[in-house]
Amino acid sequence: MTKRFSLGFVSLIVVAATLATLCSGIRAHAAPPPIKIGVIVPLTGVSAPSGQAMKAAIELAAKIVNEGNSKDLAPLPLTQSAGLPNLGGAQIEPIFADSQGSPSVGQTQAVRLVTQEHVVALFGSYQSGVTKTTSEVAERYGIPFVCGDSVAAELTARGYKTFFRVTPAITEFAKVYIAFFDDLKKQGKNIKTIAVVHENTDYGTAVGDAMEAVTKGTPYQIVARIPYTASATDLSAEVNQLKAKKPDAVLFASYTSDSILFAKTMNELGFTAPAIIGDDSGFVDGTFLKTSASIMEGAMSRSSWAPPKPGTPAYKINQMYKAMGYDFDTFEAAARDMQGFWVLMDAINRAKSTNSDAIIAALKATNLSPQQLMLPYHGVKFDDKGQNVEGAAIMEQIQNGKYVVIWPSSFAQAKLEWPFVGKK
Amino acid sequence: MTKPRLALLTGAIIFAIYPLIVSSTFGQRVGVLVLLAALSGIAWNVIGGYAEQVSIGHAVFYGIGAYLPLLYYTRTQSNPVVMIPLAMALAALVALAIGIPTFRLRGHYFSMATLALGQLFVLGVTIAPALGGASGLSGPVEQNPWELSMRSPVPYYYVFLVALALMLALVAWLERHRVGFYLRAIQSSERAARSLGVPVYRYKLIALMISAALTALAGSFYALFVGFVNPDSVFGLLVSVQMVIVATLGGAGTLYGPLLGAAILVPTQEWANATFGGGGTGLSYVIYGAVIMVLTRFEPGGLLGLWKRLRFRAAASA
Amino acid sequence: MMNVLNFAHGEFVTLGMFTALLAFSFWHTGPLVFVPLAAVVLFVVGQVVYYALIRDVMRGPMFAQVLATFGLLLFIRYMLFWIFSPNYRTLPSTLLGGTAHVDGLYLNYPKVIAAVVAVVLTAAVYYLLVRTQIGSQMLAVAEDREAARLMGIDPDRVQALAWGISAACAGVAGALLATFYYISPDVGGTFVLFAFVAVTLGGFGSVPGAMLAGPIIGLVQVATAYYTSPEFAEIAVFTLFVLVLWVRPQGLLGRSIGGS
Repeated sequence: MTKRFSLGFVSLIVVAATLATLCSGIRAHAAPPPIKIGVIVPLTGVSAPSGQAMKAAIELAAKIVNEGNSKDLAPLPLTQSAGLPNLGGAQIEPIFADSQGSPSVGQTQAVRLVTQEHVVALFGSYQSGVTKTTSEVAERYGIPFVCGDSVAAELTARGYKTFFRVTPAITEFAKVYIAFFDDLKKQGKNIKTIAVVHENTDYGTAVGDAMEAVTKGTPYQIVARIPYTASATDLSAEVNQLKAKKPDAVLFASYTSDSILFAKTMNELGFTAPAIIGDDSGFVDGTFLKTSASIMEGAMSRSSWAPPKPGTPAYKINQMYKAMGYDFDTFEAAARDMQGFWVLMDAINRAKSTNSDAIIAALKATNLSPQQLMLPYHGVKFDDKGQNVEGAAIMEQIQNGKYVVIWPSSFAQAKLEWPFVGKK
Repeated sequence: MTKPRLALLTGAIIFAIYPLIVSSTFGQRVGVLVLLAALSGIAWNVIGGYAEQVSIGHAVFYGIGAYLPLLYYTRTQSNPVVMIPLAMALAALVALAIGIPTFRLRGHYFSMATLALGQLFVLGVTIAPALGGASGLSGPVEQNPWELSMRSPVPYYYVFLVALALMLALVAWLERHRVGFYLRAIQSSERAARSLGVPVYRYKLIALMISAALTALAGSFYALFVGFVNPDSVFGLLVSVQMVIVATLGGAGTLYGPLLGAAILVPTQEWANATFGGGGTGLSYVIYGAVIMVLTRFEPGGLLGLWKRLRFRAAASA
Repeated sequence: MMNVLNFAHGEFVTLGMFTALLAFSFWHTGPLVFVPLAAVVLFVVGQVVYYALIRDVMRGPMFAQVLATFGLLLFIRYMLFWIFSPNYRTLPSTLLGGTAHVDGLYLNYPKVIAAVVAVVLTAAVYYLLVRTQIGSQMLAVAEDREAARLMGIDPDRVQALAWGISAACAGVAGALLATFYYISPDVGGTFVLFAFVAVTLGGFGSVPGAMLAGPIIGLVQVATAYYTSPEFAEIAVFTLFVLVLWVRPQGLLGRSIGGS
């Protein structure tokens, strides 16, 4: 009796153990490997503040998608279930690399991410020069590359099959200004002469070129184009030139440090114009607001982030971002990056695979509606050069130390203050 | 075989077969970067180490070497490689222009001149749309070995390795001949050398011109490997300083010092960036700076000097 | 003057700025406190740097000095980066008063005050060097260290003092700059290049030379910006520098060294 009992007991244990192993094996198979995406940003160097803000935004995007179950972010893709639903709930794992602002370091990091970390896609890279070399690596390896922030026009002129840019290019932003000025004319606020002040690296020069191109054949006249060396120690000469030309509108394409210096210099030298506009970058940076808002009342900026109304998904996302110590109201490029990264995650999900060609095809087929986005774009749809043709921007203005949206009317939160006030 | 000879032979073998034993593209790429750093370090060493005329603007020559071929390619769509000898000659001419006025004086003036010239070139190229301006210039996209445009790092590795061997041979030859003797005399004491009849001025200029031409070669190789140049990445101060660090950390004024410096520095930088870089705290730079300070304080002869000292001590206690 | 090229000099300026920032943020004190504070802090820093690093490196080849001070630059700059993050900060522009509008000229108080202090400080340093005993000791050590030691001067103490004073001046510059410029770990580097140019243009070893070269550089910058275009301003300065090197390599008031 004992022998049969023990035999039965042992067999029971063996069967149970086998079943348990099988079950755990199934469960182990059921947890899919994480999806690695390489993100190359400037974490040190001159653009470090922006790079760090971008990193935080992307980490937030991954966190939201990985956790899922956000009923209040409903229309945005991938928010209702953990991870990517079409890939068995696979978790997104962004792998960050520091480009140090250098094209060759960015290139090396891109090679490392693709060949060592085996990422399924690359994302980046803020400075156009770095985006150029990192996306070239992606093209070489046939890996999809999504860009959320670099605006240089030439990036989509290379005929790459793997490059997709979610943010509008600089030429599109120039058209936004013209549309804005046209609307202002209807309100009786006439702008005829424009001065463009830009830093002389590729970003600023691109803005200057774009503005010259877009105003050709229009009644708008560029009376002064003032390039200056970035990270300048003194900008009085530039401001004095502005004073001499007396333009109706001044457009600044400058990074944070120079924007701060411009604000101070304009205040010191008593320069004003009816419209003082910053082409995003420095003007929307948090430090600029903190240091210069009190003397830049009425300054405007174009932005692809519209400070959102409470209750909207964008508002909730910004609350989460604020909990991390940042704020999209002041790190607008990071918002564009987060949106771009989201588009990439959505494409991988639609591709139902981590295969490069499948993801590229899914990116090509992207067709997101404005309700599915956190930015005020008209949608996301790429043309055959990889450029999103449904991008958009709003104009915002510093009123009482904070930016509020003043154009277009569908997004406006406040009335335009006219003309520029300066020191409040 | 003596110990140093054995070490050299081992090193040579490792360098020769490196891409064959390291199959990862990233590893091969790091190998190429080591060779590029070694090339520019050895070039700098000719004037900076042997003659001790410390240039902190050698990026001028590097940038000339990097820009000329790509400029030619952008304008004419023809093979950029043919411009390399011209770039080297141009660099030598610019070197002459700096050396002539400043070599009459003591060391610091020359260093300052090179620093200023470097900045001048960065600014000048940035505002010149004809030279690509701030956006920079790109190199050939299609695969063509004759244009040094290839997909894998391995062919680049071997081309650069051959160039490295030739450069080392050249410097070794200089060491053993009159030029080398004169330079070393100048390094120990210019006054004494002059009183012994060494044409100090002339030989400083010759050394600078050689150094400039070799640096330009390294720059051309860089441009064709990365496929893109812009003012800051080839004319910038950091480029100049990197050359100084590679040469002096390894052992300035020695034949193999810069090579050792490159072989240790570049992989360490890549490792630090891969490990800590993603965190973005800048901590890797703090450590980097600390290491440089400690090393230069305790061993100005660099790593090679350290090795010699340890060997001497070991031999003495034997 | 001590014949050491200090790459990290710009970082001393940055440290001065951060001292001002910290003093303002934590103790809410104004320039009257944080400018001298910066001087004191940097004086100590300068001496520490001398004893810990420079003294040994000085006796070696020149490239070791370049390397060592560059290492110091990296260390200080990225330590600040690590502690304070790369974000830009500023002090309120009203700390030293605003701008006076005089006769079509805009005079910005903080800048004017900074300029005055700079002149006074430079004059004081010059006086120290040529009229006091400690000053002649410094010059003696600079000229021939061993001979000075034989004369009973302690070269280390004197050179440490020189480093302290030099660093303190940089600190004062930084603290004053903080009243009208932005503060970040990278800032020092922007100023150090022009500082080197000023010293070389004026002539190594000549304080009046540097005093003369500084305003010349400033004038060239502004005049070029006004008559041509602002982006040529820095190029003009460097071009002038290269030209002067061709024509009069020892600078304006430097000793005419015939390659000794």
